[in-house]
Amino acid sequence: MNPRSIRVRLSLWYSGVLGLLLVTFSVATYLGLERYLTSVLRQSVISQAREVVPLFSHLDNKDEQREIVELRAHYAPEANNRFLRVRRDTGSVIYVSGVPKDQSFDPAEIPSTQPPLAQESTQDVFLSGGTRLLLYAIPFETRDGRRLIIEAGATYAQVDNVTSNVWMIFAFSLPVFMVVAVAGGYALSRRALRPIDEITRRAEQITSQNLSERLPAPKTNDEVERLSVALNRMIERLERAFESIHRFSADASHELRTPLTILRGELELVAQRRDLSPAISETISSALEEIDRLTKITESLLVISRLDAGESGHESQEFNLAELARVTTEQMTLLASEKEIELCCDTPVSAQIHGNPLRIKQVLVNLLDNAIKYTPKKGKINVAVAVANGCVTLEVADDGPGINPAALPHIFERFYRVDKARTRKFGGVGLGLSIAKSICVAHGGEIKVESAEGQGSRFSVHLPAAVQPLSFSKTSRRAG
Amino acid sequence: MTMRILLIEDEEKVSRFVEGGLVAASYAVDAVQDGPTGVEMAEAYQYDLIILDLMLPGMSGGQVLRSIRRSNHQVPILILTARDTVADKVEHFEIGADDYLTKPFAFAELLVRVKALLRRGPISQASTLRVGSLELDRLSQQAKRAGRRIDLTAKEYALLEYLMCNAGRVLSRTMIIEHVWDQSFDGVTNIVDVFVRHLRHKVDDPFEQKLIRTVRGVGYSISDERSI
Repeated sequence: MNPRSIRVRLSLWYSGVLGLLLVTFSVATYLGLERYLTSVLRQSVISQAREVVPLFSHLDNKDEQREIVELRAHYAPEANNRFLRVRRDTGSVIYVSGVPKDQSFDPAEIPSTQPPLAQESTQDVFLSGGTRLLLYAIPFETRDGRRLIIEAGATYAQVDNVTSNVWMIFAFSLPVFMVVAVAGGYALSRRALRPIDEITRRAEQITSQNLSERLPAPKTNDEVERLSVALNRMIERLERAFESIHRFSADASHELRTPLTILRGELELVAQRRDLSPAISETISSALEEIDRLTKITESLLVISRLDAGESGHESQEFNLAELARVTTEQMTLLASEKEIELCCDTPVSAQIHGNPLRIKQVLVNLLDNAIKYTPKKGKINVAVAVANGCVTLEVADDGPGINPAALPHIFERFYRVDKARTRKFGGVGLGLSIAKSICVAHGGEIKVESAEGQGSRFSVHLPAAVQPLSFSKTSRRAG
Repeated sequence: MTMRILLIEDEEKVSRFVEGGLVAASYAVDAVQDGPTGVEMAEAYQYDLIILDLMLPGMSGGQVLRSIRRSNHQVPILILTARDTVADKVEHFEIGADDYLTKPFAFAELLVRVKALLRRGPISQASTLRVGSLELDRLSQQAKRAGRRIDLTAKEYALLEYLMCNAGRVLSRTMIIEHVWDQSFDGVTNIVDVFVRHLRHKVDDPFEQKLIRTVRGVGYSISDERSI
């Protein structure tokens, strides 16, 4: 699981936001509930106190005992775990409820309040054992002018009970919700992103060889469909671009080759005549040589343009590069020995690669031909093939004069000549290394050069080794 | 008997020099400019060979090829084309072409191929080839000149044999490379010149009469001067 994938990031974001919302909701609910329950408790205590007030307010001193009896009988605060006390403002207690049924507090412990006349007050009282009590006091004056205070109280036990239960519920359910939500979200985003994976997989398979293929674009009318459609349009534009390169290449072939054919054919016919003056004969021969050169340039440019348009796949097969290097070196030995150059070949027994052997051979011939041309007499050229890490390397190293550092970055460019006079003398067209590079790139490889002036040059070609010969040869088209 | 060749080529100048060259080589040539006429002519007359250009107005070379093959399976057909991809070649060999020549071509090469297709034995089956005082025994792969034995390497032998099989005809460097080496060497190396130089050193240098001739801008040929 890639932590940077959209699926994971989406799930993380979504569960983060969800978690924050759930916690906020829980805290708000908890606080709201506590507040509400407290206010209910308060109302209940207040109404209890107020109910008792009329019992005493219209009575005389001597009726008190009767009311107390009634209070005990009717209200029985102990049974409801309530506290009730009736006092005179002088401090003497007329009535106090007993120990409540749940024994949550001791009435004797509850301190007296002394509110000013006609001013109700509520306060929280903390008792020993941590019990918190809501105490409400209401002072009033009886008909005969006595001042009494009625105090009613209740513990917060019920409120705390409910809130702590709610707290427990939240504490347990929140993580469960989160786990379910994260898992659900991950599964959902996986489901939603599966078409993207499919698109990715198919897009990987589209190369210059099968540009007519399209990505699946299910008619879902969603973002995925839009993406597929947009990508398909892009592939279509690419296909058109490739087609136009191919068409250009074919048209250029025809348009350039036809006049060359005519020039050559007509001049050859004339050249065969025996009545030509030496001057005309010389001119015709020279023209034929130039036509030959123009033909080579044209062919080379067309080859490069086709390679760059991704032509290489057609004539592919698996072959042994080491064998090819040995044979080619052998074939070039005579060219080297003309200049008394020592030509060595150092290869393993086998170096299988996948590609067009004629094209790869062309790379080696170009490199060797260059090396032979630029290496002075009695020089040395070494051809080496090595296999390492799924990569086959072909190296052509000489001990010639090396390449000027200023020229080094340009030597693979078309028509680039390090030394214009010399190259011309050798009859090259300035495209050999460009072709070599295009061939290497078309085979999924690369070509590099290292050189220092006076210390020779080393050209190395890196090509992927053939890994699955069977599946490759099955998919490759018939070689011509 | 004169061999009759039908040339289907819309490019007037190409048609003219091919026709001229073939006539000069003693063939009878009918040249037509488009596919439908070509098909008609091929059906109306008995030709020994058809040379067909692929890019034709009205009807493509491929269609012409199919039409001709429908009624005539025998006549050899040589394709001339400016398109040289392997896919093109395979496609046209599949529908019945016998040979394929890419433009621009050396006329000598066209002649060699025409002769091969006409089975006139351009690649002589004779076991001994002779040019002047030079003799090549193809069975023992040995060369002799004026009775003196000449030692040749395998490539030198192949080169000399190719030249001698086509004695008197000019062979282009491209033809030699493709025949003796392979096309990877084309356009880059001067390998042909080097080998010809070596061959000359062995075959011609010790003798007064030079047999191997350079035709500038075209290629090489071997001939006994007096026979031309």
